[in-house]
Amino acid sequence: MKSILSFSLNGAPVEVLVKTTDTLLDVLRESLGYTGAKRGCDAGDCGACTVIVDGLAIRACLAIALTMSGKEVVTIEGLGKQGDLHPLQKAFHQHGAHQCGFCTSGMIVSAKTLLDKIPNPSQDEIVEYMSGNICRCGTYVEVAEAIQAVSGGKE
Amino acid sequence: MENVGYFAPSDVGQALELLAEQGSKATVLAGGTDLVPAINYYSLWPENLIFIGALGLDYIKEEGGKLLIGSGATWTQILEDPLVAEKAPALAQAARQGGSVATRNAGTVGGNLANASPAADLTVILLALEAEVLLKSSAGKRTVALKDFFTGPGETVMNDDELLMEVQIPLPAGSAAFQKLGRRKAMTLSVVNAGVKLNLDGDTCSGACIALGAMAPTPLRCSAAEEMLVGKKLDAALIAECAAAAVAAGSPIDDQRASAWYRTKAGTAIVARALAQAAGIGG
Amino acid sequence: MTEYVGKPMPRYQGLGEVTGTATYVDDVQYPGMLYVKVLRSPVARGTVKGLDFSDTLKVPGVVGVLTADDIPGVNIYGVYGDQLVLNPQDLRYKGEPIAAVVGRDEDAAQAGVEAVKLDVEELTPVFDMFEAMKPDAPIVRPGTTSNLFEYDEQGTTTRIIKLGDVEAGLKEADHIVEGRYIEAIQDHAAMEPQVSVALIDDAGRLTIHTHSQCLNYHLAQLCPVFGLSQSKINYLGGRVGGGYGGKNEINCDHIAGLAALKFCAPVKYRLTRQEDLAYTGKRGAWVFDYKTGVMNDGRIVASHIKEYHDSGAYCGFSPYGTEKCGMFASGPYNIPNILIEANTIFTNRYPSISMRGYSVLNGQVAADVQMSRIAEKLGMDPWELRFINAWRDGDMGASRYVVDGVGALEAMKRAAGMAGIELPDKLLQMSSRSR
Repeated sequence: MKSILSFSLNGAPVEVLVKTTDTLLDVLRESLGYTGAKRGCDAGDCGACTVIVDGLAIRACLAIALTMSGKEVVTIEGLGKQGDLHPLQKAFHQHGAHQCGFCTSGMIVSAKTLLDKIPNPSQDEIVEYMSGNICRCGTYVEVAEAIQAVSGGKE
Repeated sequence: MENVGYFAPSDVGQALELLAEQGSKATVLAGGTDLVPAINYYSLWPENLIFIGALGLDYIKEEGGKLLIGSGATWTQILEDPLVAEKAPALAQAARQGGSVATRNAGTVGGNLANASPAADLTVILLALEAEVLLKSSAGKRTVALKDFFTGPGETVMNDDELLMEVQIPLPAGSAAFQKLGRRKAMTLSVVNAGVKLNLDGDTCSGACIALGAMAPTPLRCSAAEEMLVGKKLDAALIAECAAAAVAAGSPIDDQRASAWYRTKAGTAIVARALAQAAGIGG
Repeated sequence: MTEYVGKPMPRYQGLGEVTGTATYVDDVQYPGMLYVKVLRSPVARGTVKGLDFSDTLKVPGVVGVLTADDIPGVNIYGVYGDQLVLNPQDLRYKGEPIAAVVGRDEDAAQAGVEAVKLDVEELTPVFDMFEAMKPDAPIVRPGTTSNLFEYDEQGTTTRIIKLGDVEAGLKEADHIVEGRYIEAIQDHAAMEPQVSVALIDDAGRLTIHTHSQCLNYHLAQLCPVFGLSQSKINYLGGRVGGGYGGKNEINCDHIAGLAALKFCAPVKYRLTRQEDLAYTGKRGAWVFDYKTGVMNDGRIVASHIKEYHDSGAYCGFSPYGTEKCGMFASGPYNIPNILIEANTIFTNRYPSISMRGYSVLNGQVAADVQMSRIAEKLGMDPWELRFINAWRDGDMGASRYVVDGVGALEAMKRAAGMAGIELPDKLLQMSSRSR
């Protein structure tokens, strides 16, 4: 069964035909071509598909797309773009907080929701909040540095 | 999965009618954190999904001497709710240790119970808090004590036409604590977890509930261990003895997360820590 | 040039990564793209008795199946040319690809796989290297008589690396310390699961979008499978979502390419995280038996090491890994008498492949745990034991290489400093430049 799903994507209204079992990640990546959110595990474990729904970070791979009806979805593509980077994107780039880059969009999206909630997080708060985003290259130290740099840092 | 139906009822009555109509053909979808991976990995080919996220079941309130939590309340809501922090802080403590920020923003308390994993974190503390669940169907409603709710891994007493509406925690919720051991600190299922509730009369224990997770096919209440504490003053020796008795009630298995041997050893320590924390004994 | 040395530089292509516009293989899509799911062996060892796709072909959305018969070239790939792209017969490990189903989407392909009537006669597998070396063990490679890799045409199964006279050295030693070290398999678990996209491009070439870590190397393996020359394959790589050695192995490119050739359409074949964890190459298991002769003053005079490497069901990278591991298994220490005896053993596990610091680390971990055990036995500070024996310029390694520009002592001093450990002056005064 296919249904029409309407929601807001990065501030613009979207209508798309989806299957019941399509996840938000399927729809973003394969129906709409927004491939910034990555498919790392399809089970909510890795964090590479993290997106923002009504202000909260969620796993796009765990959300049945139709449940997004009427919601406001923001992806990495909505945070900033080349020539007009979000401060976190700039900081991740400057601090080398990415290596293979596959976890990076999820990391930046999670970090955005952290700073929305706690504008000046401590190192412990960063580590706890970001613990759901896995990086296998081992950029965790630089990720925390980049977030500190944007938030102004707090000892 | 071309032909899976989707229903998003906007009130409870509609949802119950759909469940009555469809019976075993309906799969109830809440936060999706357990259900969707099963679909993504083809271990579940559902016929129809009924999404219950629009039923207004995400409340947390105090009423009639009970803390009432709608089944749609998320882990994040529980973790951040001032009423939970005041009346049942151990529940918030458990919520904080489950999953990640993003999964806590989606996953619900009802889902954690209905999924009936023997290792579920909220479940084990709710079991210790002597919670009951309110089940509704188009034919009526009933409340079931959590200790009678689980019948096996992934199995509960719920009928196909019933919806888990609400969790009810009797107040006051005593002095309670939750402890968990996972393979890492975050984003991990419990190797073993424990919830305890003590009613303390000065420093004497007048009642105890001990619940243990990942140690048996269902989350477990350990009544023999509980009885050991009643009328006694808790100290390190009694706690150690009681923890051993609690774990003896389990029947742990070897799996990819831990061996039965390890679960027994670690479980004893986890129960002891929870007891010490609830009793306010240092260390 | 020097203005850049020692200074952090923003990553090349990094802007695409932070904005989400970097294109990884799974981000590539084409109109009308088909999807592949693979039928895998349900058993660790068995024989295919029946393979019936009649129900599969009735599944809505299934376009067709791909079997070994569809391979235009040879059904062989791998570093040692011993692995089958699709195995229709003698199954050697759980998860080995038997055939593929191609569908309009992944759900259809998966339903097609589940509809295959597969009849397999299960045989007793062997998972333990020492069991596999017994004379009556199940034979992993049909048509052979032993589970040991043969390094030459004379049938040599034990690789020997020899320096000095280990028997004499052990006799001379004041103490003999023995230890067995067992190392389990390890998965790369790169964030990007294995995936490939293949199609016939506008020049008529087979184009493959790959995350290969070694393009030319893989191209050389793929050409004979497709029966195409290199000029007929446009192998597009460059963007790897984490590899760590795991993308030195072909898991998807061969099957995606074959499907694109057969069905004349763009094809995507991607593994789920579960498939990636369960069925792709690992850093293999190793077991080491160390027998070390040491003098009262801490000087190591002899090291006899037996090395056993679990290759899994095919060679993977293992025979080479076994040799490389052996060369370094005595550690970064000056030992005049060394004997290393190394074996590569087949079991019914997934083929073992490269991973970060491939095979060298395995031996060195064992060597250094053995050093700690020796220090304990002598009642000596383990730092001191390592400092006494660490390589200096001009020392000789097990395979007779003379080491130069050594930094072991300097690295240990720095590590101690970072860990807040104060080393005694007599150690701090030592240098890798002289003994």
